[in-house]
Parts: sequence; C-alpha cells; structure tokens
Amino acid sequence: MTQYLLSVYQPDGDPPPPEVLDQVMSELNVLNGEMKAAGAWVFAAGLHPASTATVVRHRDGEVVLTDGPFTEGKEHIGGFTIITAPDLDSALEWAGKMSRATTLPVEVRPLQHGVED
Amino acid sequence: MRTSDIERVFRDEYGRAVAVLVRAFGDIDIAEEAVQDAFTAAVQRWPSTGPPPSPAGWIITTARNQAIDRLRREASRHDRHAEAALLYAGDEPAEEGPVPDDRLRLIFTCCHPALAPAVQVALTLRLLGGLTTAEIAHAFLVPEPTMAQRLVRAKGKIRDARIPYRVPGGRPAGPAPCGPGRRLPHLQRGVRGERG
Repeated sequence: MTQYLLSVYQPDGDPPPPEVLDQVMSELNVLNGEMKAAGAWVFAAGLHPASTATVVRHRDGEVVLTDGPFTEGKEHIGGFTIITAPDLDSALEWAGKMSRATTLPVEVRPLQHGVED
Repeated sequence: MRTSDIERVFRDEYGRAVAVLVRAFGDIDIAEEAVQDAFTAAVQRWPSTGPPPSPAGWIITTARNQAIDRLRREASRHDRHAEAALLYAGDEPAEEGPVPDDRLRLIFTCCHPALAPAVQVALTLRLLGGLTTAEIAHAFLVPEPTMAQRLVRAKGKIRDARIPYRVPGGRPAGPAPCGPGRRLPHLQRGVRGERG
C-alpha cells in the first residue's frame, strides 16, 4: 500500500455562497465517511485562505518572514486528504470523487514514507 | 549464428522479455537492465555455440537469473528496494488479466493517462519496441539527454506513484477514471507510434 496526498486547489477570493458551500461540505463529509469505511482514509484537513500564510526562510543565520503564500497565483491549496491505496488507479478514483464533491481540481502525489495511521 | 540473426531475435523478443521480467520483479529498471545483460551474453556466446533451441526462452531465463543474482547482491547490502523486489519475485502472480499477455499489461502501464501523451509513446517505443533512447529522441526531434531525462522521470513516476501493471477492465464496475475506454485513445496512439 502507498499513501497519497490529495490536495484540493481552490481559487483565491471570497468563498462561494452558503448554499453552494453547504452542499460541498456535506458531499465532502459523505466522501470522508466512504473513505473511512473503505479503510482508505488517513487524515484530512481544510485550510484557512492563503492570505493567512507566512513563509519562513533561514538565511545567513537569521530568520526572515514573508507575508503570504510561497507561490504567487490565483489558486492555492485549500485543503488536503491523505489516503492509503494499493496503486495509483485506486488513488485517482478517490481523487475523482473528491474533485466531484468540491468541484475543484485535485492534485495526487505519492508520499515517500507513509505516515502512521 | 550471425550478428544479424541476434539482432532479429532482439527485435522480435526484447519487448516480451522486458514485459515478463517486469511482471516477475515489479521494477522496470531491473527488467531492462537484466534483458540487456542477457542479450550481451547472447552476442558473446551464440556466434560460437550456435543459438539455443529457444532463443526467446534462453533470453528470459538468463535475464531472470541475472536479475536475481543482482538483487541478492544488493539485498545482502541491506538495500530495502532490492529486498522488496526479491520478495516480489518470490511469489509468482496467480492473477491473470482479461488477456494473458505481459506485453499488453506493460503497454497499458506505459500508456497510463497519468503520463503525458508524448511520454507514453516514447516509453512504449523504449520498453516494448526496444528502440534506443537516441532513436526515440531522433523521432521526437529532441536532444538525446532531453529524451533520456523524460524516460527516467516517467519510470520514476511509475515506480513511486505506483502506476499498476494491469490491463484495465478486470476491476469491479464503478466510476473508474482510468478505465479501458478512457485509455484506448492513448493506447492506439502509442501503438501507432504517433506523437501526442
């Protein structure tokens, strides 16, 4: 089994209106439940907007802080789920469901060494 | 046996040998290297001894033994990757896909939609067609180091992201993003050797 990071890429700016967001959240809850029932779910979290991020760099013995996310862009990671799956096809299947639930693109990346579950 | 005869065996059997070895060891690099070693041995031996009764069988058996020898050496140095590949080689896969041909399984791996179309074609030409990196680079009109890097990256993705060695379609029904229907256009392009 391999663990995969499923990152949801979310456009910056205001969140969608409550009726849309509620629908997304409830579908995500259903999906998380499905992942848990299948033994695939390891960890999941939603993130505050990228505008709350701080980048920290250690440079010449000093720590320098930058306000904002590391990458410039119109989309940033809005949340992520770690799953365990037998192969990439299986991970992609979960990612497809996640993209449908969130209506957003999902990036799938294998973990080098799985986290303990 | 002349060199041209060995070349013909190489063209006919390279892809099948690599595909069988990939199934046996679950690792493309090990398979490629072992099959190349086996052909090197054939070039040294066959001109004087004459070809074995089944050249293809000889190549596969020799490659298999070379791979096991290499893995044993590496496993004794506590290489976890080698140990894993040896374990994999230990249990003969009982599972058969819809079509019992290792080459077809490997074509589907090479043409997995998670790989860029151009990479799918290049990888198929390399692993199943037995073309050299230089020949593929020439066909794609890119410098050889560029193509070499693309192939290394693709093989790394297959290994690390665990792109399966499997003919799709043997799975239970469901919204499979990588089902055979979705993959066939890629596969056809790969088989025809078109650029993506």
